[in-house]
Amino acid sequence: MSKTALHHYQRCCFIRAFESAIATQAAAGNVPGLVHLSTGSEVADVVLASHLDSRLDQVTGSHRSHGIALACGAEPLEVAKEILGKEGGLSDGLGGTQHLIAPEAGFLTSNGIVGAQVPMAAGAALSAKTRADGGIGVAVFGDGAANQGAVLETMNLAVVLKLPMLFVMYNNGMAQTTAAATATGGSLIARSESFGLEAYTTDSADYADCIRVFGKAVQTARRGTAACVDVAVTRDHGHYFGDGDADDFQASTAMKSLEKYILNQSISLDSLTAAKNRAQEDAVAVVAQAAAGAADG
Amino acid sequence: MQSRLLRKLPQGPPMVKRDMTLQQALNQALHQMMAENDSVVCIGEDIAVSGGVFGVTGGLAERFGNARVIDTPISETAFVGMAVGAAMTGLKPMVELMFCDFAGVCFDQILNQAAKARFLSNNRLELPLIIRTTMGAGDGSGAMHSQSLHGLFACIPGLTVVCPSTPADAAGLLKASFASADPVVFMENKQLYTTTGPVGEDLPVVPLGKAALVRAGGDVTVVAASAMVQQALKAASALESGGVSVAVIDPRTIKPLDIDTIITSVEKTGRLLVVDEGAAYGGFADAVIAQVTQGAFEFLRSKPGKLTPPDTPVPYAVLAEQAWLPGAKDIEKAVLNMMDQNNDNT
Repeated sequence: MSKTALHHYQRCCFIRAFESAIATQAAAGNVPGLVHLSTGSEVADVVLASHLDSRLDQVTGSHRSHGIALACGAEPLEVAKEILGKEGGLSDGLGGTQHLIAPEAGFLTSNGIVGAQVPMAAGAALSAKTRADGGIGVAVFGDGAANQGAVLETMNLAVVLKLPMLFVMYNNGMAQTTAAATATGGSLIARSESFGLEAYTTDSADYADCIRVFGKAVQTARRGTAACVDVAVTRDHGHYFGDGDADDFQASTAMKSLEKYILNQSISLDSLTAAKNRAQEDAVAVVAQAAAGAADG
Repeated sequence: MQSRLLRKLPQGPPMVKRDMTLQQALNQALHQMMAENDSVVCIGEDIAVSGGVFGVTGGLAERFGNARVIDTPISETAFVGMAVGAAMTGLKPMVELMFCDFAGVCFDQILNQAAKARFLSNNRLELPLIIRTTMGAGDGSGAMHSQSLHGLFACIPGLTVVCPSTPADAAGLLKASFASADPVVFMENKQLYTTTGPVGEDLPVVPLGKAALVRAGGDVTVVAASAMVQQALKAASALESGGVSVAVIDPRTIKPLDIDTIITSVEKTGRLLVVDEGAAYGGFADAVIAQVTQGAFEFLRSKPGKLTPPDTPVPYAVLAEQAWLPGAKDIEKAVLNMMDQNNDNT
């Protein structure tokens, strides 16, 4: 468990540093449009992906999907080039930051329309069910999307069609600039329960619980019972990078808590720091490599 | 089933043709497609147990089971989106959208998801999805069950749009749509389901993007789609007795449009009338006129004409709806009016 945790931590550090390097590129004007960084959800990204099988499962994500795409195993250089709008990106720069497509890594697509990715994951679930190969469809969306009809309709559809599907709600309490308190009536996880989904709640700042809950939810979906996980995450760099939030890229709350967990597992601070440094160097190098050369080149 | 037995018989010319309705032709094509390919799944409201509100999916659930013929809740966004995701991951979904008016509630999945998947993936994703839907006024269904939105779909890059007008074309174009790796919006006019016509025994494929010259003529080219083809043919017969020879072209596929067939005819006639049940503004009729004007301006002997409904929603009352729809008499009048014009500037 401790070795796994350290490995997960290193993956989180990679995503965090990758996003930091992308932010630097954005600040330098090297990203065609706005970027929505996934800083704050690293632990959720990595833990969720650790329970999936990229040969069988397909994940669809929101506009904020750099982290989950990388966690699933999308090629980092291709992801970086895609975000920078370059040839050699996943789609040679035609899609961009909000349209990351890496089905070979089990990441079917991210999406520019809030909530639209959710019914598409039901389609991946239907394909898996039809093939009877044990795969699942996973929809990752934010609490802001949970007020979209597409999400609520799909929860109902997944239950009545008995789809092997997992709904994963990254609950950061914000819908763009509107707080959940003013945007959402009732409880989001209670909604999913009322549709008949197996509902779970966890916090990405509690790594052990997160591992346990995602493991259970993925198993449930694999058995053909649609499930939903409400996972608390933070949103560390605003709706999009540069819209006024702090620019600390050191670690998310969840990552700091994962550090403590690892140090309690008889792993030395040196090992932890080494893992972090290695991940950061790798991420910085890959984004620099993507950025090298002429724009669009 | 009968069609399965027939397919096992040795095939050879001459091709046997049988009369059937457009609804029966579509139903047989669906049976054939589902029998030939296990990846085909049918998804929609009331398509399994009841066989579809227009009977097009009749018998499919009994034959292929409810895992492949799926009755859905009234949640177009969810089930059209599910079909999009299924098409991305190896299935060949046919989704029935009961009326094209209902595209309003799931337009994101059509406009942003289905239509853009191939582009956004830089050709890595295929999207073999068929959205079968209905169109057409004339049965008192009112403003939200009678629209003809083929022009709206056609202006979205990434979608193929098909509007068959005969039973043989309906079956043949549906089979071609099943062979497509890209999303097809297949629009069936409600008024045509009971139209009868000869259909080849094995339901021959009709290629997408190929118009039909359904009547040859030398004086005026009338381009008419879907239910307007019958009106154009009626008008052409009446005009012939008055000595006016009308060519009638059924584009069959709205997009990609077979503009070459239309221009070839206009080069001969020098006159173009487009008759369409779609939008009066920025619709299919305008698109055809723009392309012909740009491609064959020097051949035009009169200004191109169009007949569409007025720029209003479809009215409900019987006489109002009849007045709203273009008909054979309107076409005759428009053609004669066009014959009086002679642009000799060329």
